[in-house]
Amino acid sequence: MSEPQSALLLRKQLAELNKNPVEGFSAGLIDDNDIYRWEVLIIGPPDTLYEGGFFKCHLYFPKEYPLKPPKMKFITEIWHPNIDKNGDVCISILHEPGDDKFGYEKASERWLPVHTVETILISVISMLADPNDESPANVDAAKEWREHYSEFKRKVARCVRKSQEEC
Amino acid sequence: MGNCLKRSTTDDISLLRGSDSVRESSSDQLGQPYQEPIPAEDVSPVYYPSPSVSRSVVQLTEEEQVKIAKRIGLIQNLPIGTYDGCKKERECVICMVEFLVGDTVRCLPCMHTYHMKCIDGWLMRSLTCPSCLEPVDAALLTSYETT
Repeated sequence: MSEPQSALLLRKQLAELNKNPVEGFSAGLIDDNDIYRWEVLIIGPPDTLYEGGFFKCHLYFPKEYPLKPPKMKFITEIWHPNIDKNGDVCISILHEPGDDKFGYEKASERWLPVHTVETILISVISMLADPNDESPANVDAAKEWREHYSEFKRKVARCVRKSQEEC
Repeated sequence: MGNCLKRSTTDDISLLRGSDSVRESSSDQLGQPYQEPIPAEDVSPVYYPSPSVSRSVVQLTEEEQVKIAKRIGLIQNLPIGTYDGCKKERECVICMVEFLVGDTVRCLPCMHTYHMKCIDGWLMRSLTCPSCLEPVDAALLTSYETT
């Protein structure tokens, strides 16, 4: 039996990212025999609180990719309003279109089958720089970000330091 | 309608039973509406009344069946063509594979073109163009609201 479309598409992206790496992250597989589970290292974006950090993340793709989005999890500890305390990333482009009448309400912010590892990572990196506090996954981090920014900064700085030690 | 591309002629029922654009059905599930849902996904086609809700054909409520039948009808009315090498788009942005002359492609009202096998699976989940997010045939959908 030939490989499913999802595996071919992911293989293609992996080859492309190896050939032409994108600034801000590096990507590979957790296990070379499993194209559906990726390991990504995000470099804390410059001019943000996360600058200097190295954040290891996993991406878990479903067999139905690209019709369904992958799940993303930070393995390195991180303090951010849109990443829950288990490391799970909560970002609208990784959500399937909502249960609205025709399935396209606010489609622009939701998952689309044209998203790739690269576009997902670009969104996540931009989320690091610019948290969305309307739908926080880590309520405590969101509250701190709004109300006790100095404490928020301190916690992020601690994560950045820890991430450097782990690397 | 002003388009000269040929249309699919299969009827809605045969699509509900599975066709190459939807998952293949290996048995006549429609004839057994009271059968317990079978865990193996491959046994009957899976539908998405909404994108995050997946059900096998035997699990669909009547309302969902109507919704899906309408969607299939709408998708069927989108023109299908054969890639002839002279279109602006060279690659199907869903599978990231270049179009080959002879590939069966579907053209959305916004003029974005995809492999039929790639776009139909998406349209069954969400009736938007993945490239420009234009709702597919909004006019037809509006008329459905009155039903």
